Amino acid sequence: MASGNMKGYFKQKKSGGGRGIAKPKPSKKSTKIQPTHVATLGSDVVQPSTLSAHNLQDDEYDGNETVLRQFDMNMAYGPCLGMSRLARWERAQRLGLNPPKEIETLLKQGKARADCLWDGCV
Amino acid sequence: MEIDAEKHLQRKQSLYESLDEKFRIEKETYRGQQYSQIYFARLHMMRTLIYSLIPNWKPHLPVCTVLGLEEGKECIIVGTLYKHMKLKPCILDEYSKERSVAPLVKPHNFMHSDDSLVLEDESGRVKLGGTMLLPSVYVTGTVVGLHGKETSAGEFLVQDILDADLPPQIELPLKSREDKYVVFVSGLSVGSSTSNPLQFQLLVDHITGHLGDEKEQGIAAQIVHVVIAGNSVAVPRGLLNGQNLASKDQSRLSEPIKELDILLTQIAAGLPLDIMPGPDDPANFSLPQQPLHRCLFPGSSAYNSFRSCTNPHSFELENIRFLGTSGQNVDDLEKYSEAKDKLEFMERTLRWRHLAPTAPNTLGCYPFTDRDPFLIESCPHVYFVGNQDKYETRLIKGSEGQVVRLICIPKFCETGVAVVLNMRNLECHALSFGTEFSS
Repeated sequence: MASGNMKGYFKQKKSGGGRGIAKPKPSKKSTKIQPTHVATLGSDVVQPSTLSAHNLQDDEYDGNETVLRQFDMNMAYGPCLGMSRLARWERAQRLGLNPPKEIETLLKQGKARADCLWDGCV
Repeated sequence: MEIDAEKHLQRKQSLYESLDEKFRIEKETYRGQQYSQIYFARLHMMRTLIYSLIPNWKPHLPVCTVLGLEEGKECIIVGTLYKHMKLKPCILDEYSKERSVAPLVKPHNFMHSDDSLVLEDESGRVKLGGTMLLPSVYVTGTVVGLHGKETSAGEFLVQDILDADLPPQIELPLKSREDKYVVFVSGLSVGSSTSNPLQFQLLVDHITGHLGDEKEQGIAAQIVHVVIAGNSVAVPRGLLNGQNLASKDQSRLSEPIKELDILLTQIAAGLPLDIMPGPDDPANFSLPQQPLHRCLFPGSSAYNSFRSCTNPHSFELENIRFLGTSGQNVDDLEKYSEAKDKLEFMERTLRWRHLAPTAPNTLGCYPFTDRDPFLIESCPHVYFVGNQDKYETRLIKGSEGQVVRLICIPKFCETGVAVVLNMRNLECHALSFGTEFSS
Protein backbone atom coordinates (compact mmCIF):
# COMPACT_ATOMS: atom_id res chain seq x y z
CA MET A 1 0.00 0.00 0.00
CA ALA A 2 1.40 3.38 -1.01
CA SER A 3 1.77 5.49 2.03
CA GLY A 4 3.87 8.33 3.13
CA ASN A 5 5.95 9.85 0.42
CA MET A 6 3.94 9.83 -2.82
CA LYS A 7 6.75 11.56 -4.57
CA GLY A 8 8.82 8.46 -4.46
CA TYR A 9 6.15 6.58 -6.38
CA PHE A 10 6.15 8.85 -9.40
CA LYS A 11 9.23 9.28 -11.55
CA GLN A 12 10.95 12.47 -10.68
CA LYS A 13 11.38 15.05 -13.41
CA LYS A 14 14.94 16.06 -13.87
CA SER A 15 15.65 19.70 -13.26
CA GLY A 16 17.32 21.36 -16.15
CA GLY A 17 16.83 20.52 -19.82
CA GLY A 18 18.57 18.01 -22.02
CA ARG A 19 17.72 14.47 -22.83
CA GLY A 20 20.89 12.58 -22.45
CA ILE A 21 22.53 13.82 -25.63
CA ALA A 22 26.13 14.54 -25.01
CA LYS A 23 26.44 18.21 -25.72
CA PRO A 24 27.67 21.13 -23.65
CA LYS A 25 25.26 22.71 -21.19
CA PRO A 26 23.62 25.74 -22.77
CA SER A 27 23.10 29.13 -21.08
CA LYS A 28 21.84 29.43 -17.52
CA LYS A 29 18.27 30.32 -18.39
CA SER A 30 17.55 26.89 -19.78
CA THR A 31 17.81 25.24 -16.35
CA LYS A 32 14.58 26.94 -15.31
CA ILE A 33 12.45 25.93 -18.26
CA GLN A 34 11.16 22.44 -18.91
CA PRO A 35 11.58 21.95 -22.64
CA THR A 36 9.63 19.42 -24.61
CA HIS A 37 11.76 19.38 -27.75
CA VAL A 38 15.48 19.49 -28.02
CA ALA A 39 15.33 21.92 -30.91
CA THR A 40 13.64 24.63 -28.91
CA LEU A 41 16.23 24.69 -26.16
CA GLY A 42 17.49 28.15 -25.36
CA SER A 43 20.89 27.34 -26.71
CA ASP A 44 23.37 29.82 -28.10
CA VAL A 45 24.64 27.36 -30.66
CA VAL A 46 22.20 26.65 -33.50
CA GLN A 47 22.07 22.91 -33.86
CA PRO A 48 20.86 21.60 -37.19
CA SER A 49 18.52 18.69 -37.16
CA THR A 50 21.25 16.42 -38.55
CA LEU A 51 23.27 16.50 -35.38
CA SER A 52 20.39 15.41 -33.22
CA ALA A 53 19.25 12.84 -35.75
CA HIS A 54 22.64 11.18 -36.08
CA ASN A 55 23.48 10.44 -32.52
CA LEU A 56 27.09 9.93 -31.75
CA GLN A 57 26.03 6.69 -30.16
CA ASP A 58 25.75 5.31 -33.69
CA ASP A 59 28.91 3.29 -33.91
CA GLU A 60 29.02 3.40 -37.67
CA TYR A 61 29.64 7.12 -37.70
CA ASP A 62 31.95 7.35 -34.81
CA GLY A 63 35.64 7.80 -35.54
CA ASN A 64 35.53 8.43 -39.27
CA GLU A 65 32.62 10.80 -39.31
CA THR A 66 34.06 12.93 -36.52
CA VAL A 67 37.30 13.35 -38.43
CA LEU A 68 35.40 14.28 -41.56
CA ARG A 69 33.23 16.74 -39.68
CA GLN A 70 36.36 18.39 -38.32
CA PHE A 71 37.57 18.66 -41.91
CA ASP A 72 34.25 20.24 -42.93
CA MET A 73 34.42 22.81 -40.17
CA ASN A 74 38.04 23.77 -40.71
CA MET A 75 38.05 27.35 -41.99
CA ALA A 76 41.42 27.08 -43.64
CA TYR A 77 39.99 24.93 -46.44
CA GLY A 78 37.21 27.35 -47.23
CA PRO A 79 33.43 26.99 -47.11
CA CYS A 80 32.10 23.44 -47.15
CA LEU A 81 28.57 24.03 -48.46
CA GLY A 82 27.76 23.18 -52.03
CA MET A 83 30.75 20.95 -52.63
CA SER A 84 31.31 17.28 -52.14
CA ARG A 85 33.91 16.54 -49.46
CA LEU A 86 36.26 15.00 -51.99
CA ALA A 87 36.01 18.01 -54.30
CA ARG A 88 36.80 20.28 -51.37
CA TRP A 89 39.74 18.13 -50.40
CA GLU A 90 41.03 18.23 -53.98
CA ARG A 91 40.65 21.98 -54.09
CA ALA A 92 42.59 22.32 -50.84
CA GLN A 93 45.28 20.08 -52.30
CA ARG A 94 45.47 22.14 -55.48
CA LEU A 95 45.73 25.42 -53.58
CA GLY A 96 48.70 24.04 -51.66
CA LEU A 97 46.96 23.84 -48.28
CA ASN A 98 48.23 20.29 -47.56
CA PRO A 99 45.06 18.70 -46.25
CA PRO A 100 45.63 15.42 -44.34
CA LYS A 101 45.99 12.39 -46.58
CA GLU A 102 43.75 10.21 -44.38
CA ILE A 103 40.73 12.25 -45.35
CA GLU A 104 41.30 11.48 -49.01
CA THR A 105 41.66 7.76 -48.36
CA LEU A 106 38.55 7.76 -46.15
CA LEU A 107 36.50 9.49 -48.81
CA LYS A 108 37.78 7.35 -51.63
CA GLN A 109 36.95 4.18 -49.72
CA GLY A 110 33.34 5.22 -49.94
CA LYS A 111 32.27 4.26 -46.43
CA ALA A 112 31.67 7.79 -45.22
CA ARG A 113 29.18 10.44 -46.32
CA ALA A 114 30.28 12.05 -49.57
CA ASP A 115 28.74 15.39 -48.73
CA CYS A 116 29.38 17.75 -45.91
CA LEU A 117 27.48 17.91 -42.67
CA TRP A 118 25.01 20.58 -43.69
CA ASP A 119 24.32 19.34 -47.20
CA GLY A 120 20.63 19.46 -48.01
CA CYS A 121 19.83 21.14 -44.69
CA VAL A 122 20.57 24.72 -45.56
CA MET B 1 40.53 47.19 -124.06
CA GLU B 2 42.86 44.58 -122.67
CA ILE B 3 41.91 42.86 -119.49
CA ASP B 4 44.76 42.89 -117.05
CA ALA B 5 46.10 39.50 -116.15
CA GLU B 6 44.59 38.53 -112.83
CA LYS B 7 46.95 39.15 -109.99
CA HIS B 8 46.32 36.76 -107.18
CA LEU B 9 46.85 38.40 -103.85
CA GLN B 10 47.46 35.88 -101.14
CA ARG B 11 46.07 36.69 -97.74
CA LYS B 12 48.61 36.33 -94.97
CA GLN B 13 48.02 33.77 -92.27
CA SER B 14 48.73 33.49 -88.59
CA LEU B 15 48.95 30.64 -86.16
CA TYR B 16 45.99 30.77 -83.80
CA GLU B 17 45.51 29.11 -80.44
CA SER B 18 42.44 29.45 -78.28
CA LEU B 19 42.88 29.83 -74.52
CA ASP B 20 39.19 29.89 -73.64
CA GLU B 21 39.16 26.56 -71.81
CA LYS B 22 38.96 28.08 -68.34
CA PHE B 23 35.90 30.14 -69.31
CA ARG B 24 33.84 27.13 -70.32
CA ILE B 25 31.22 25.89 -67.89
CA GLU B 26 30.07 22.67 -69.57
CA LYS B 27 31.89 20.53 -67.03
CA GLU B 28 30.60 22.45 -64.04
CA THR B 29 27.68 21.09 -62.03
CA TYR B 30 25.59 23.25 -59.78
CA ARG B 31 25.28 21.65 -56.37
CA GLY B 32 23.69 24.49 -54.47
CA GLN B 33 26.94 26.33 -53.83
CA GLN B 34 26.99 29.98 -52.95
CA TYR B 35 29.45 32.66 -53.98
CA SER B 36 31.58 32.18 -50.87
CA GLN B 37 33.41 29.46 -52.80
CA ILE B 38 34.60 31.70 -55.60
CA TYR B 39 35.60 34.39 -53.12
CA PHE B 40 37.60 31.83 -51.16
CA ALA B 41 39.40 30.66 -54.29
CA ARG B 42 40.10 34.27 -55.28
CA LEU B 43 41.36 35.28 -51.85
CA HIS B 44 43.55 32.25 -51.53
CA MET B 45 45.22 32.52 -54.90
CA MET B 46 45.75 36.27 -54.66
CA ARG B 47 46.93 36.11 -51.07
CA THR B 48 49.56 33.49 -51.87
CA LEU B 49 50.71 35.75 -54.67
CA ILE B 50 50.80 38.90 -52.55
CA TYR B 51 52.63 37.10 -49.77
CA SER B 52 55.35 36.31 -52.29
CA LEU B 53 55.61 39.99 -53.21
CA ILE B 54 55.90 41.28 -49.63
CA PRO B 55 59.60 40.42 -49.15
CA ASN B 56 60.38 42.76 -52.07
CA TRP B 57 58.16 45.46 -50.74
CA LYS B 58 58.49 45.73 -46.97
CA PRO B 59 60.33 42.70 -45.66
CA HIS B 60 60.79 44.01 -42.14
CA LEU B 61 57.09 44.13 -41.25
CA PRO B 62 55.18 41.16 -39.81
CA VAL B 63 52.23 39.76 -41.73
CA CYS B 64 49.09 38.88 -39.82
CA THR B 65 45.45 38.00 -40.29
CA VAL B 66 42.63 40.41 -39.53
CA LEU B 67 41.81 38.81 -36.19
CA GLY B 68 45.47 38.81 -35.26
CA LEU B 69 45.69 42.59 -35.31
CA GLU B 70 47.04 44.26 -32.23
CA GLU B 71 46.45 47.87 -31.43
CA GLY B 72 49.32 50.13 -32.42
CA LYS B 73 51.40 47.37 -33.96
CA GLU B 74 52.50 48.09 -37.52
CA CYS B 75 51.92 45.12 -39.77
CA ILE B 76 50.72 43.97 -43.15
CA ILE B 77 47.32 42.41 -43.75
CA VAL B 78 45.99 40.87 -46.96
CA GLY B 79 42.34 40.40 -47.73
CA THR B 80 39.40 41.15 -50.00
CA LEU B 81 38.09 44.70 -50.08
CA TYR B 82 34.45 45.42 -49.48
CA LYS B 83 33.16 48.88 -50.28
CA HIS B 84 30.20 50.02 -48.29
CA MET B 85 28.17 52.24 -50.59
CA LYS B 86 25.21 54.28 -49.42
CA LEU B 87 23.66 54.64 -52.85
CA LYS B 88 24.14 51.07 -54.00
CA PRO B 89 20.72 49.56 -54.68
CA CYS B 90 19.81 46.95 -52.12
CA ILE B 91 17.25 44.22 -52.76
CA LEU B 92 15.73 44.89 -49.36
CA ASP B 93 14.68 48.37 -50.46
CA GLU B 94 12.05 46.73 -52.64
CA TYR B 95 10.42 45.32 -49.54
CA SER B 96 10.58 48.41 -47.39
CA LYS B 97 7.17 49.73 -46.46
CA GLU B 98 8.04 53.35 -47.06
CA ARG B 99 9.05 53.94 -50.59
CA SER B 100 10.18 57.33 -51.64
CA VAL B 101 9.13 58.82 -54.93
CA ALA B 102 12.64 58.46 -56.29
CA PRO B 103 13.14 55.37 -58.48
CA LEU B 104 14.75 52.40 -56.82
CA VAL B 105 17.62 51.97 -59.21
CA LYS B 106 19.44 54.68 -61.06
CA PRO B 107 21.59 53.36 -63.89
CA HIS B 108 24.49 55.70 -63.47
CA ASN B 109 27.28 55.89 -60.94
CA PHE B 110 26.48 54.93 -57.34
CA MET B 111 29.37 56.63 -55.66
CA HIS B 112 29.02 58.86 -52.65
CA SER B 113 31.49 60.80 -50.59
CA ASP B 114 30.58 58.69 -47.54
CA ASP B 115 31.68 55.40 -49.11
CA SER B 116 34.02 53.42 -46.89
CA LEU B 117 36.21 50.39 -47.37
CA VAL B 118 36.45 47.26 -45.24
CA LEU B 119 39.08 44.53 -45.51
CA GLU B 120 37.95 40.96 -45.04
CA ASP B 121 39.60 37.56 -44.79
CA GLU B 122 38.40 34.24 -43.38
CA SER B 123 39.02 35.30 -39.81
CA GLY B 124 37.22 38.63 -39.79
CA ARG B 125 36.83 42.09 -41.19
CA VAL B 126 38.19 45.48 -40.25
CA LYS B 127 37.15 48.97 -41.25
CA LEU B 128 39.83 50.86 -43.13
CA GLY B 129 40.74 54.43 -42.32
CA GLY B 130 43.24 57.03 -43.38
CA THR B 131 43.62 58.96 -46.59
CA MET B 132 45.95 56.64 -48.50
CA LEU B 133 43.26 54.25 -49.68
CA LEU B 134 40.73 56.07 -51.82
CA PRO B 135 37.25 54.52 -51.87
CA SER B 136 36.65 56.12 -55.27
CA VAL B 137 39.36 53.99 -56.85
CA TYR B 138 38.73 50.58 -55.32
CA VAL B 139 35.74 48.28 -55.60
CA THR B 140 34.38 45.30 -53.70
CA GLY B 141 36.19 42.14 -54.68
CA THR B 142 39.76 43.34 -55.19
CA VAL B 143 42.43 41.63 -53.12
CA VAL B 144 45.17 43.90 -51.81
CA GLY B 145 47.90 43.99 -49.21
CA LEU B 146 47.85 46.86 -46.74
CA HIS B 147 50.51 48.23 -44.47
CA GLY B 148 49.23 50.04 -41.42
CA LYS B 149 48.19 49.65 -37.84
CA GLU B 150 45.08 49.27 -35.76
CA THR B 151 43.86 52.42 -34.04
CA SER B 152 42.17 52.67 -30.67
CA ALA B 153 38.86 53.13 -32.46
CA GLY B 154 39.21 49.63 -33.88
CA GLU B 155 39.91 50.84 -37.40
CA PHE B 156 42.95 49.92 -39.46
CA LEU B 157 44.84 53.04 -40.45
CA VAL B 158 46.30 52.42 -43.90
CA GLN B 159 49.80 53.74 -44.52
CA ASP B 160 50.60 52.00 -47.78
CA ILE B 161 48.97 49.73 -50.36
CA LEU B 162 50.37 46.77 -52.24
CA ASP B 163 48.60 45.84 -55.48
CA ALA B 164 49.57 42.63 -57.20
CA ASP B 165 50.60 44.70 -60.25
CA LEU B 166 50.99 43.37 -63.79
CA PRO B 167 51.48 39.62 -64.04
CA PRO B 168 54.56 38.20 -65.76
CA GLN B 169 54.51 38.40 -69.52
CA ILE B 170 56.07 36.17 -72.15
CA GLU B 171 58.45 38.29 -74.14
CA LEU B 172 57.71 38.98 -77.77
CA PRO B 173 60.42 37.78 -80.14
CA LEU B 174 62.48 40.68 -81.38
CA LYS B 175 62.95 39.51 -84.96
CA SER B 176 61.36 41.81 -87.48
CA ARG B 177 57.94 40.69 -88.37
CA GLU B 178 55.89 41.67 -91.34
CA ASP B 179 52.81 43.83 -91.11
CA LYS B 180 49.86 41.70 -90.13
CA TYR B 181 46.64 43.27 -89.02
CA VAL B 182 43.86 42.23 -86.67
CA VAL B 183 40.51 43.98 -87.00
CA PHE B 184 38.40 44.54 -83.89
CA VAL B 185 34.76 45.55 -84.10
CA SER B 186 31.91 45.50 -81.60
CA GLY B 187 28.36 46.71 -81.15
CA LEU B 188 27.24 45.86 -84.68
CA SER B 189 23.67 45.57 -83.34
CA VAL B 190 22.31 44.13 -86.56
CA GLY B 191 18.55 44.56 -86.56
CA SER B 192 18.43 47.63 -84.36
CA SER B 193 17.10 50.95 -85.58
CA THR B 194 20.48 52.63 -85.12
CA SER B 195 22.49 50.20 -87.18
CA ASN B 196 23.22 50.98 -90.80
CA PRO B 197 23.46 47.83 -92.93
CA LEU B 198 25.44 49.64 -95.59
CA GLN B 199 28.14 50.57 -93.07
CA PHE B 200 28.59 46.97 -91.98
CA GLN B 201 28.59 45.81 -95.62
CA LEU B 202 31.31 48.35 -96.37
CA LEU B 203 33.38 46.97 -93.51
CA VAL B 204 32.93 43.40 -94.74
CA ASP B 205 33.77 44.37 -98.30
CA HIS B 206 36.89 46.19 -97.22
CA ILE B 207 38.14 43.30 -95.09
CA THR B 208 37.46 40.70 -97.77
CA GLY B 209 39.14 42.77 -100.46
CA HIS B 210 36.09 43.52 -102.53
CA LEU B 211 36.66 47.25 -102.34
CA GLY B 212 39.18 49.49 -103.96
CA ASP B 213 42.10 49.02 -106.27
CA GLU B 214 45.06 46.69 -106.04
CA LYS B 215 46.80 48.80 -103.46
CA GLU B 216 43.80 48.78 -101.15
CA GLN B 217 43.29 45.09 -101.76
CA GLY B 218 46.93 44.58 -100.88
CA ILE B 219 46.33 46.23 -97.53
CA ALA B 220 43.25 44.09 -96.96
CA ALA B 221 45.30 40.98 -97.75
CA GLN B 222 47.40 41.77 -94.69
CA ILE B 223 44.39 41.43 -92.37
CA VAL B 224 44.79 38.02 -90.79
CA HIS B 225 42.04 37.93 -88.17
CA VAL B 226 38.74 39.55 -87.23
CA VAL B 227 37.37 39.73 -83.67
CA ILE B 228 33.78 40.75 -83.03
CA ALA B 229 33.51 41.76 -79.40
CA GLY B 230 29.86 41.40 -78.51
CA ASN B 231 26.45 42.93 -79.17
CA SER B 232 26.35 41.76 -82.74
CA VAL B 233 22.60 41.40 -82.91
CA ALA B 234 19.65 43.34 -81.55
CA VAL B 235 16.76 40.97 -80.96
CA PRO B 236 13.42 42.82 -81.21
CA ARG B 237 12.48 42.33 -77.58
CA GLY B 238 9.17 44.13 -78.00
CA LEU B 239 7.80 40.95 -79.52
CA LEU B 240 8.52 38.97 -76.38
CA ASN B 241 5.63 39.76 -74.10
CA GLY B 242 4.90 36.38 -72.58
CA GLN B 243 2.34 35.39 -75.16
CA ASN B 244 2.76 32.70 -77.77
CA LEU B 245 4.42 34.07 -80.85
CA ALA B 246 2.54 34.09 -84.13
CA SER B 247 4.56 32.58 -86.95
CA LYS B 248 4.88 36.02 -88.50
CA ASP B 249 6.46 37.31 -85.30
CA GLN B 250 8.68 34.27 -85.04
CA SER B 251 10.25 35.04 -88.37
CA ARG B 252 10.60 38.70 -87.38
CA LEU B 253 12.43 37.61 -84.26
CA SER B 254 14.99 35.65 -86.18
CA GLU B 255 15.50 38.16 -89.01
CA PRO B 256 18.39 40.05 -87.39
CA ILE B 257 20.39 36.93 -86.67
CA LYS B 258 19.83 35.67 -90.23
CA GLU B 259 21.07 38.98 -91.58
CA LEU B 260 24.13 38.77 -89.33
CA ASP B 261 24.83 35.23 -90.47
CA ILE B 262 24.81 36.28 -94.13
CA LEU B 263 27.42 38.94 -93.48
CA LEU B 264 29.52 36.73 -91.21
CA THR B 265 29.56 34.06 -93.91
CA GLN B 266 31.15 36.58 -96.24
CA ILE B 267 33.88 37.28 -93.69
CA ALA B 268 34.41 33.65 -92.68
CA ALA B 269 34.80 32.66 -96.31
CA GLY B 270 37.88 34.88 -96.48
CA LEU B 271 39.64 34.84 -93.14
CA PRO B 272 39.41 33.59 -89.54
CA LEU B 273 36.70 35.20 -87.48
CA ASP B 274 36.05 35.12 -83.73
CA ILE B 275 32.65 36.17 -82.44
CA MET B 276 32.06 36.85 -78.76
CA PRO B 277 28.69 37.20 -77.02
CA GLY B 278 27.81 40.53 -75.45
CA PRO B 279 25.23 41.79 -72.97
CA ASP B 280 22.51 42.07 -75.64
CA ASP B 281 23.25 38.88 -77.51
CA PRO B 282 21.25 35.63 -77.28
CA ALA B 283 23.66 34.03 -74.82
CA ASN B 284 23.58 33.46 -71.08
CA PHE B 285 23.59 36.49 -68.82
CA SER B 286 26.23 35.78 -66.21
CA LEU B 287 29.93 35.85 -66.89
CA PRO B 288 31.70 33.95 -68.33
CA GLN B 289 29.25 34.09 -71.21
CA GLN B 290 29.27 30.89 -73.21
CA PRO B 291 29.81 30.86 -76.97
CA LEU B 292 26.84 31.68 -79.18
CA HIS B 293 25.39 28.47 -80.45
CA ARG B 294 26.39 27.21 -83.91
CA CYS B 295 22.78 26.72 -84.92
CA LEU B 296 22.36 30.51 -84.89
CA PHE B 297 24.87 30.70 -87.73
CA PRO B 298 24.01 27.95 -90.20
CA GLY B 299 25.92 29.66 -92.99
CA SER B 300 29.11 30.77 -91.26
CA SER B 301 29.56 27.77 -88.97
CA ALA B 302 30.11 25.63 -92.07
CA TYR B 303 33.53 27.27 -92.29
CA ASN B 304 36.25 26.21 -89.90
CA SER B 305 37.47 29.78 -89.94
CA PHE B 306 34.37 30.74 -87.98
CA ARG B 307 34.87 30.47 -84.23
CA SER B 308 32.22 31.20 -81.64
CA CYS B 309 34.04 32.19 -78.46
CA THR B 310 33.36 32.90 -74.83
CA ASN B 311 33.24 36.29 -73.18
CA PRO B 312 35.89 36.94 -71.79
CA HIS B 313 37.99 35.70 -74.70
CA SER B 314 41.64 34.81 -74.62
CA PHE B 315 43.73 33.61 -77.55
CA GLU B 316 47.21 33.64 -78.99
CA LEU B 317 48.09 34.72 -82.49
CA GLU B 318 51.70 34.03 -83.40
CA ASN B 319 52.72 34.09 -79.74
CA ILE B 320 51.05 37.43 -79.13
CA ARG B 321 48.57 36.98 -76.30
CA PHE B 322 45.19 38.66 -76.61
CA LEU B 323 42.64 39.06 -73.84
CA GLY B 324 39.35 40.90 -74.05
CA THR B 325 35.75 41.24 -73.01
CA SER B 326 32.57 42.65 -74.48
CA GLY B 327 32.58 45.50 -72.01
CA GLN B 328 30.61 44.29 -68.98
CA ASN B 329 33.62 44.31 -66.66
CA VAL B 330 34.60 47.90 -67.37
CA ASP B 331 31.03 49.18 -67.52
CA ASP B 332 30.38 47.75 -64.08
CA LEU B 333 33.55 49.32 -62.70
CA GLU B 334 32.31 52.63 -64.01
CA LYS B 335 29.17 52.35 -61.90
CA TYR B 336 31.04 51.75 -58.67
CA SER B 337 34.26 53.70 -58.99
CA GLU B 338 35.73 56.54 -60.98
CA ALA B 339 38.68 57.07 -63.28
CA LYS B 340 39.70 59.64 -65.84
CA ASP B 341 38.88 57.35 -68.76
CA LYS B 342 37.91 53.77 -69.58
CA LEU B 343 41.52 52.89 -70.29
CA GLU B 344 42.33 53.65 -66.67
CA PHE B 345 39.71 51.14 -65.53
CA MET B 346 41.29 48.60 -67.85
CA GLU B 347 44.74 49.32 -66.47
CA ARG B 348 43.45 48.87 -62.93
CA THR B 349 41.99 45.46 -63.71
CA LEU B 350 45.39 44.41 -65.04
CA ARG B 351 47.24 45.74 -62.02
CA TRP B 352 44.77 44.01 -59.71
CA ARG B 353 45.24 40.89 -61.88
CA HIS B 354 41.50 40.37 -62.04
CA LEU B 355 39.32 40.86 -65.13
CA ALA B 356 36.11 41.53 -63.28
CA PRO B 357 36.62 42.26 -59.58
CA THR B 358 33.01 43.31 -59.09
CA ALA B 359 31.84 39.82 -60.05
CA PRO B 360 29.89 38.25 -58.35
CA ASN B 361 28.97 41.24 -56.18
CA THR B 362 27.32 43.45 -58.79
CA LEU B 363 28.19 41.61 -61.99
CA GLY B 364 26.48 38.31 -62.71
CA CYS B 365 28.86 35.40 -62.45
CA TYR B 366 28.74 31.61 -62.35
CA PRO B 367 29.38 30.25 -58.82
CA PHE B 368 32.62 28.40 -59.44
CA THR B 369 33.82 26.30 -56.53
CA ASP B 370 37.36 25.34 -57.29
CA ARG B 371 38.75 28.34 -59.15
CA ASP B 372 38.25 31.95 -60.15
CA PRO B 373 38.64 32.03 -63.93
CA PHE B 374 38.87 35.82 -64.06
CA LEU B 375 42.26 35.91 -62.39
CA ILE B 376 44.87 37.02 -64.89
CA GLU B 377 47.86 34.75 -64.58
CA SER B 378 49.85 35.76 -67.61
CA CYS B 379 49.97 39.32 -68.85
CA PRO B 380 48.41 39.76 -72.28
CA HIS B 381 50.13 41.81 -74.99
CA VAL B 382 46.82 43.17 -76.20
CA TYR B 383 43.88 43.83 -73.89
CA PHE B 384 40.62 44.92 -75.52
CA VAL B 385 37.18 45.87 -74.28
CA GLY B 386 34.17 46.17 -76.58
CA ASN B 387 31.02 48.28 -76.76
CA GLN B 388 32.54 51.49 -75.50
CA ASP B 389 31.48 55.00 -76.38
CA LYS B 390 34.60 55.97 -78.25
CA TYR B 391 37.81 54.58 -79.66
CA GLU B 392 40.69 54.96 -77.22
CA THR B 393 44.03 53.27 -76.97
CA ARG B 394 47.16 53.41 -74.86
CA LEU B 395 50.34 51.45 -74.34
CA ILE B 396 51.13 50.69 -70.71
CA LYS B 397 54.35 49.40 -69.25
CA GLY B 398 55.00 47.20 -66.25
CA SER B 399 57.80 47.17 -63.72
CA GLU B 400 59.30 44.02 -65.22
CA GLY B 401 59.27 45.17 -68.81
CA GLN B 402 55.74 44.10 -69.62
CA VAL B 403 54.13 46.03 -72.46
CA VAL B 404 50.39 45.99 -73.01
CA ARG B 405 48.33 47.63 -75.72
CA LEU B 406 44.95 48.68 -74.25
CA ILE B 407 42.11 49.11 -76.73
CA CYS B 408 38.59 50.43 -76.22
CA ILE B 409 36.50 49.30 -79.18
CA PRO B 410 33.62 51.68 -79.92
CA LYS B 411 30.09 50.63 -80.78
CA PHE B 412 30.04 50.26 -84.55
CA CYS B 413 26.32 51.02 -84.93
CA GLU B 414 26.84 54.43 -83.34
CA THR B 415 30.29 55.43 -84.55
CA GLY B 416 31.02 53.40 -87.69
CA VAL B 417 34.53 52.86 -86.35
CA ALA B 418 36.46 49.59 -86.24
CA VAL B 419 39.95 49.22 -84.79
CA VAL B 420 42.95 47.80 -86.63
CA LEU B 421 46.00 46.53 -84.77
CA ASN B 422 49.36 45.91 -86.41
CA MET B 423 50.90 42.81 -84.83
CA ARG B 424 54.39 43.83 -85.85
CA ASN B 425 54.61 46.83 -83.51
CA LEU B 426 51.33 46.70 -81.55
CA GLU B 427 50.22 49.98 -83.07
CA CYS B 428 46.59 50.75 -83.55
CA HIS B 429 44.55 52.87 -85.84
CA ALA B 430 40.86 53.44 -86.44
CA LEU B 431 39.01 52.37 -89.55
CA SER B 432 35.93 54.44 -89.99
CA PHE B 433 33.09 54.00 -92.44
CA GLY B 434 30.65 56.68 -93.43
CA THR B 435 27.66 56.53 -95.67
CA GLU B 436 26.54 60.13 -95.52
CA PHE B 437 27.36 62.18 -98.55
CA SER B 438 27.42 65.90 -98.10
CA SER B 439 25.43 67.50 -100.83
